[in-house]
Amino acid sequence: MSNPLPDRLWPACLSSLHLDRFLMGELDEPEAERVRAHAAACPRCGPALEAIRAARDECLPPLRLVPPAGDSRRWWAAAAAGAGLAAAASLLIVLRPPGERSKGSGFALAMYVEHGGEVRRAGPGETVAGGDAVRFAVTAPQPAYVAVLSVDPLGKGSVYFPSGARAERVQAGIDVALPLGTRLDDSVGEERIVGLLCAAPVELEPLRQRLERGDATFPDGCQVTRWSFVKR
Amino acid sequence: MTLDRAAIERLYRSHGHIVLRRARALLGSEPDAQEALHEVFASLLRTPEGLRSATSAVAWLYRTTTHFCLNLLRNRRTGARLLESLAPALPAGSRSEALAELRKLLSRMPPDVAAAAVYHHMDGMTHAEVAEVLGCSRRQVGYLLERVPQSLARLEQSA
Repeated sequence: MSNPLPDRLWPACLSSLHLDRFLMGELDEPEAERVRAHAAACPRCGPALEAIRAARDECLPPLRLVPPAGDSRRWWAAAAAGAGLAAAASLLIVLRPPGERSKGSGFALAMYVEHGGEVRRAGPGETVAGGDAVRFAVTAPQPAYVAVLSVDPLGKGSVYFPSGARAERVQAGIDVALPLGTRLDDSVGEERIVGLLCAAPVELEPLRQRLERGDATFPDGCQVTRWSFVKR
Repeated sequence: MTLDRAAIERLYRSHGHIVLRRARALLGSEPDAQEALHEVFASLLRTPEGLRSATSAVAWLYRTTTHFCLNLLRNRRTGARLLESLAPALPAGSRSEALAELRKLLSRMPPDVAAAAVYHHMDGMTHAEVAEVLGCSRRQVGYLLERVPQSLARLEQSA
């Protein structure tokens, strides 16, 4: 097979890392002077350096502590811009501590809430407004297939994550943000969240239906963690 | 180095452009690049130790951004959404086409091989620079880059 990767996609002879370090003042003075002199004379490194320098002038958006991801980003942006988000602020939801944790598995589910343009990690007793954006993060000791399901106050089951029909593989890590967000609806009462960490990409529709029927059994090889929300 | 929110905000203002430029090149998608920009700095609140112990803030940002973007490429591949969304976002041109091809391949390579390929092929880093960013020996870098064509061959066979 011919290698479709060009030998170098970077157009300059000095690496982008080296040029960035130069511009950020990380090089010692002799090396900085060498780069300065080289870039002034090199038809490839001079323009590359100027392009990097020009990019520094770009105005960055305000920093968010937890960014939206995947499909949620468009939705989240729309939610933040929408007047409906503020209008829903009278509906309050109290987040309760996790009601059940998988025994000794290291698996944990966290939730981030975006309200009024501010994002924060939700914790026990956290009060948030209905209509807020939420996004989940998992702590997983090894790569696994993850899903987050819920049963709303009316008993309707739904899948927060993923958007596909089966649990989606997530890398091992601490607080790995799931690339899909959603917005809390305006139903009132208790909403139960079930996080699954599975060894295989389990089918989710049967589990959703089972949750609606009040059946809390899950496939072998799945660890389970639960949250409970009370919407006021 | 203390890393309270104010310090992270200052670092974001001074160095954020590096992350954004890099994420755009790796992901080929402005919304994804914006996501990477915020996630890289937000990660400092959760795990500041990596940057505290780093000798170069720029190198740490390169490494963290690359790690995040490659994960995102792999995640997107699962849903087959990234490649569909890339096509209209990329301007015409041989380098853009090469980058698009590279993204497809990176999402399917072993993570360490993909990272080495990014640093060497996209950033033009020498083996010594790649070794510094990855925290491994130059010999290991050579080994990883040697595996790039092998990975490509396997991908072709499995296609």
